[in-house]
Amino acid sequence: MNKRLLCIDAGSEYCPCYLAETGDCITCSILRGQDFCDCNWRGSCIYSEFVWNDYVKKNSRKFYSSKILKKESLGNEVYLLKIETTKTLARQLKQPGAYIFIRGEGLPQFFDVPMSIMQANEKEGYVYIVYKVLGTKTKRLNESDNILIRGPYWNGIYGLNNIKTLKNNNCLLIARGVAQAPTLLLINKIVKNNNITLILDKGKLEDNFILNYLSHKNIEIIFIDTMKYKEQEYIKEIMIDKKIDFVFSAGSDIFHKKIIELIDEIDPSINISATNNSEICCGEGVCGACSAHLENEGSVKGCKTQIDIRELIKRRVNID
Amino acid sequence: MTKVIIIGGGWAGCAAAISAKKAGGDVTIIEKTDMLLGLGNVGGIMRNNGRYTAAEESIHLGAGELFNICDKVSRHVDIDFPGHNHASLYDVNKIEPLVKKQLEDLGISILTCRRVTDVVKVKNKITKVVLSDKSHIEGDVFIETTGSTGPMGNCLKYGNGCAMCILRCPSYGPRVSITERCGIEDVLGQRNNGSYGAFSGSCKLNKETLSKDLQKELNDKGVVILTVPKEDVNLEKLDLKVCQQYSLKEFAEKIILLDTGHAKLMTPFYPLDKLRKIKGLENVKFEDPYSGGLGNSIRYLSIAPRYNNMKVEGIDNLLCGGEKSGFFVGHTEAIVTGSLAGHNSIRLSLGMPLLELPRNLASGDIIAYANEETKSIEGLKKRFTFAGSIYFNRMKELGLYTIDKEKIKDKIIRLGLLNIYEDKIV
Repeated sequence: MNKRLLCIDAGSEYCPCYLAETGDCITCSILRGQDFCDCNWRGSCIYSEFVWNDYVKKNSRKFYSSKILKKESLGNEVYLLKIETTKTLARQLKQPGAYIFIRGEGLPQFFDVPMSIMQANEKEGYVYIVYKVLGTKTKRLNESDNILIRGPYWNGIYGLNNIKTLKNNNCLLIARGVAQAPTLLLINKIVKNNNITLILDKGKLEDNFILNYLSHKNIEIIFIDTMKYKEQEYIKEIMIDKKIDFVFSAGSDIFHKKIIELIDEIDPSINISATNNSEICCGEGVCGACSAHLENEGSVKGCKTQIDIRELIKRRVNID
Repeated sequence: MTKVIIIGGGWAGCAAAISAKKAGGDVTIIEKTDMLLGLGNVGGIMRNNGRYTAAEESIHLGAGELFNICDKVSRHVDIDFPGHNHASLYDVNKIEPLVKKQLEDLGISILTCRRVTDVVKVKNKITKVVLSDKSHIEGDVFIETTGSTGPMGNCLKYGNGCAMCILRCPSYGPRVSITERCGIEDVLGQRNNGSYGAFSGSCKLNKETLSKDLQKELNDKGVVILTVPKEDVNLEKLDLKVCQQYSLKEFAEKIILLDTGHAKLMTPFYPLDKLRKIKGLENVKFEDPYSGGLGNSIRYLSIAPRYNNMKVEGIDNLLCGGEKSGFFVGHTEAIVTGSLAGHNSIRLSLGMPLLELPRNLASGDIIAYANEETKSIEGLKKRFTFAGSIYFNRMKELGLYTIDKEKIKDKIIRLGLLNIYEDKIV
């Protein structure tokens, strides 16, 4: 069977992209050089858009120089930034899985680092992000009052389809460390129509910073150390007691693997979404840094492709 | 009970459903749009030339339901137009609910607005189909009658883009080739110049936009012939068409309108400003495809390799019918192939030998002949229909063409096939 993958940008204002021009479109078989249609349909025909656009890609995302409105140290080398954006960009970023690239002003483009959006305010035009200083890129982030941003990008979560269809579900969201940040957008999206249980593990943080931004009354919050065996048993009890049918896993790939194992012991049919931990560099499916090698699909670009987290973890964690 | 899953609810799928049901199956049709019959909702021509013979053969083989409905809602019977005799024109605005009711009365389950996007296979056997909403439907035997038209990318690459036809891909999603999903390579039709696919051969004008005189003539006679201004005659366009039976010189120099409820215009597309130069068509509008001034759907890009009993080569429990099963043109051809596939689905599930129609029936011969021809390069450029072109000539040469109903019935009795599709075998 031919591979059929779902591109997060398909049908958006940024589609068709460079990959259409180079014959590498993730979704459209014709734009991959095959003779005939065999796509996974996202409601519009990418090939048709490409031809109507005179065989060139649509305009790509641009850089903006933005003011850092607030900088806050959360301890342990973790920082919160409030960044000014256009109202349009804030609106585009107000959905689970949204992220932007940022880099300190004056630095070359290879300092671009992807950051999940924690909160976006489209009325006033700003976003919040939280990051931990880890490597070269993040070490140079905090040096100026302005920052360069590029966005919107949307593939920060795998399994977005499972999120889209949530209604009257019993959701368990498990967030560890800095990955609490992208969990907030998800909570805001699903809180109205679903029952939410939130497990917070501060990991290497000093505090569960997300609590300062959680104003919802109808969420049950449980604090545990997810890495302890005893507490993992507790997570299973929660899944059974609360008849959980959707789990969101926010943490590292090792963390995802643990959560998937717990789910499989209870009920493998529980839907999973999870944070995308690929090492994303360009976000446009060009550089290849985020490539994952899946069993059936071969090499897949993690920055644009919606991947089944089970497939990904099977390959990535087990091979690592 | 054998669970038969039919993918695609056009004429072929409906015919397959009926014969599978009568043979004793538990039958489900999965159709991506909100209506059965697919292109049959804009078709209408029955019983012209050799189709008369084929229709009568099917009726006596025991697959008369759909032909009877067509006869019942025919706006005109026994009309002639250039190259064609004794045609019936069914009313495209009335046919679909009647067919749907017939299927429902027989106890066939019909799922509309559900689109199959993939299959789950164990070795060479399909276990279930996957739908666009990620749900699964299991079955014992599967019949693919998804046709070969569209989707948008094909209509653009090999035609003039989506012309907004009755299949409505932008709304309901694209056709998916089940055989391709099974890893079986589709066979592709070619045009004389070697390019792939072919345009659908007709478009429909809104009848109320014709002049009053033309409307009256069309309603009375069923056919109206108008002359194309000399400067607008385009013989090249004939080569674009799938319907080689209508690729006659007369069809380039004349405008032929048939009354199928709409005014069926026997050309793939026609620029509106040129059309409006013709007397009586000054205010005319297209009904299907909406952009009939510019283009039409592209077909014949997805033919399954199959045996003469309609089983798909390489998959143990998949049959096919209609356009999916060969370069066939027309409703009659779809019903003939679909009925056989439906009947054989039950035989296949029981491990019985599959029925092959004998070649001294037009229905059996066209199925076998199309298969032989498809194996040659030249054959990829041919289309097969009882209604004209090479196959109708062949019918006449072989003495298969007759409009003598008794003679057809006698032949089927002699072959021991009378009402074979009526037999419940499980």
